[in-house]
Amino acid sequence: MNHTAQKRALFSCFALAGCFTVFSARLIDLQVTKHDEYAKIALEIHGTRQTKPAQRGRIMDIHGESLAQNEPVRTVVADATLINDHAEMATLLSTALGIPHAQVMEKLSRTVYSQALKKEMPSPYIVLKKEVPVNVTSDLSAKLAERKMRGIAFETASTRVYPNEHMLCHVLGYVNGRNEGVDGVERTMDQFLRGHDGFRYSERDRTGKEIFVYRGQERDARNGNNVRLTIDMGLQNIVEMEMDAAIKQFHPKSATVILMQPKTGEILALSNRPNYNPNVQEGVPEDHRRDRAVTDGVEPGSTFKIVTTTAALTEKIVRADTMINCENGYFASFHLHDHHPYPDLSVHDILVHSSNIGAAKLGIQLGDQRFYDYVRRFGFGERTGVNLPGEVSGIVHPLHAWSKYSITRIPMGQEVEATPLQIVTAMSAIANGGHLMMPQIIHDITDEQGHVIAKFPAQEIRQVASKAATDAVRDALVDVVSPKGTAALAHVVGYKVAGKTGTAQKYDEKTHLPSHERYTVSFVGFMPADDPAFACLVLVDEAQVSHDKNYGGMVAAPVFSRIAEKAARYLGLKPTVEEPMGSVMVHNDYRDQ
Amino acid sequence: MSANRRRHANAIPIASFVTWALIGIFAGGGGLAYVWCKNQLYTTGSEIKSLERELVDLKNKNEVAESKIAQLSSTAKLQERYDTGFIKLVPITNDHITVLSNSTAAPNTGELRPVSNEKSVSSERIHE
Repeated sequence: MNHTAQKRALFSCFALAGCFTVFSARLIDLQVTKHDEYAKIALEIHGTRQTKPAQRGRIMDIHGESLAQNEPVRTVVADATLINDHAEMATLLSTALGIPHAQVMEKLSRTVYSQALKKEMPSPYIVLKKEVPVNVTSDLSAKLAERKMRGIAFETASTRVYPNEHMLCHVLGYVNGRNEGVDGVERTMDQFLRGHDGFRYSERDRTGKEIFVYRGQERDARNGNNVRLTIDMGLQNIVEMEMDAAIKQFHPKSATVILMQPKTGEILALSNRPNYNPNVQEGVPEDHRRDRAVTDGVEPGSTFKIVTTTAALTEKIVRADTMINCENGYFASFHLHDHHPYPDLSVHDILVHSSNIGAAKLGIQLGDQRFYDYVRRFGFGERTGVNLPGEVSGIVHPLHAWSKYSITRIPMGQEVEATPLQIVTAMSAIANGGHLMMPQIIHDITDEQGHVIAKFPAQEIRQVASKAATDAVRDALVDVVSPKGTAALAHVVGYKVAGKTGTAQKYDEKTHLPSHERYTVSFVGFMPADDPAFACLVLVDEAQVSHDKNYGGMVAAPVFSRIAEKAARYLGLKPTVEEPMGSVMVHNDYRDQ
Repeated sequence: MSANRRRHANAIPIASFVTWALIGIFAGGGGLAYVWCKNQLYTTGSEIKSLERELVDLKNKNEVAESKIAQLSSTAKLQERYDTGFIKLVPITNDHITVLSNSTAAPNTGELRPVSNEKSVSSERIHE
């Protein structure tokens, strides 16, 4: 080889080596120096984090009937970077999803600023419509495939469904758009009902299809737990039907019925009016959403006399047959009236005839401090602790805020405010021999496989009265539901019923005096009296009936009777009282104050 | 150069040829196997994806059906059907309900008797 040829070969080698050096330098620049930058861009364009949504747990009644469950729906999402013809796509989507064409066009033309590319680009994630039924998305998907159009994805989601609609709405509550409990058990049990979403990292090719081999980290969703209530839908249905009938008859402003198992404090049925359909959230007035059984305090009226009498009997200040002077209907020292003049009444008869003066005198004999203690022992002035949101404690004024009249007014259920749940809980304590039970609405919590993970057993708060005292009060309450008592219309053929009426005048904001037209009437009782299967409160606020009929014994007691009769049949309670066929109860006076 | 020596110099190096051929076959085969494996990955991935989609569809259909069943068998719906006369039920009146007493044990044998007829027992005693 001559010298020139050697030089050429050497030059070629150097040129080639230089070329490869440049290429290598660029390769190192791309793969090492700018690795993170380009990896970020690639991930932004191709990488996705798919969420695997967890199913919210179900809510069931005591027998397992589904009260709240999920229904799969789809969220229709567009990736505008993949859509070629916006107008054609908008036409197809607006027809299928029922969205105006202009609205779809506006959404598809949205842009976002890409930090990686440093420029505005069509939005890769546009939510077109949520909660679309699965059959609609299946049809739409088929049409898109047929026309070979891409850029539309269907995300799996679920919507909450309440099969019983209005029934039990206040107990169940509802969820918001993110499936978070907002009210009712949905809210209080949210941490158990809500599951944990899973995820999957993966990459997509330029057509938007997932590249299976590039699937990354993955975690399965963990579904929520199921909550079983103490509610029995058979009893709830009975209560709802009778509530509807009562609303039709009396057109009240509101009404509440609670059915409770007195020995355990389990709430068997709970219904309020007005109510709402939790499946339809739009246009429901806030007032209709309120669970009045726990959020509204009312003046209990004469039903509160059970507290006064039980306290006096437990303290052995009086016996059931002790005679009390009822001042012939007017207690001048405290400006207190009875509806009917009574000269002397036994403690038993004070309850039967619902004497205000008699109750006031029992309160006076107990004294402020002792009576106040009993009121608090019965759970008034504090939350019951039931697993329902928004519970209020009611109002029991502290002793230093009492006037000289308070000791005569509180024993007859004035100057205090109690929730319907507190009233029925107090009556349950009379029914079960003096044990104040914590109201329960949750029976247990189970996981997906049905394993019990939490139980809510009966919980006694405290012993509030002696057995002898509650027995004596129970005997008096049985006579209340007799022809000589104030609640003869609460009678149930074949069963011994015990109960107490209440009629409270509402405060008139114009005159600042108790109204003579607006009343809150109630009846709270239990059945069978000797071995109670349930305690029931019927509370009707501002019933549209004439003044002379607006009493607990005439409005609420008949509703109780109908509910109790049907409930007895449903529960298979054995009749204990033999009564002649076709016997008619005669009532002489339903009025009380 | 002698004839024997020339023949030896032009001999084909079979061993080397086989070696390179084997290397080529292995390299080519390896390459093909890689492509085949890669292709299998995609195919299997697509199949798994398709099965996943099918499973999700089935799950969804099941949930929709369950939801429908729950709605149709709910207490509210049954009551509505009863009210509209779809379900015919006749309420049992009080005079058609008989309450049975608890089962008692026979005096001699101790055997449980779901129904005890005190009258016939008394009449037997009278005859005795």
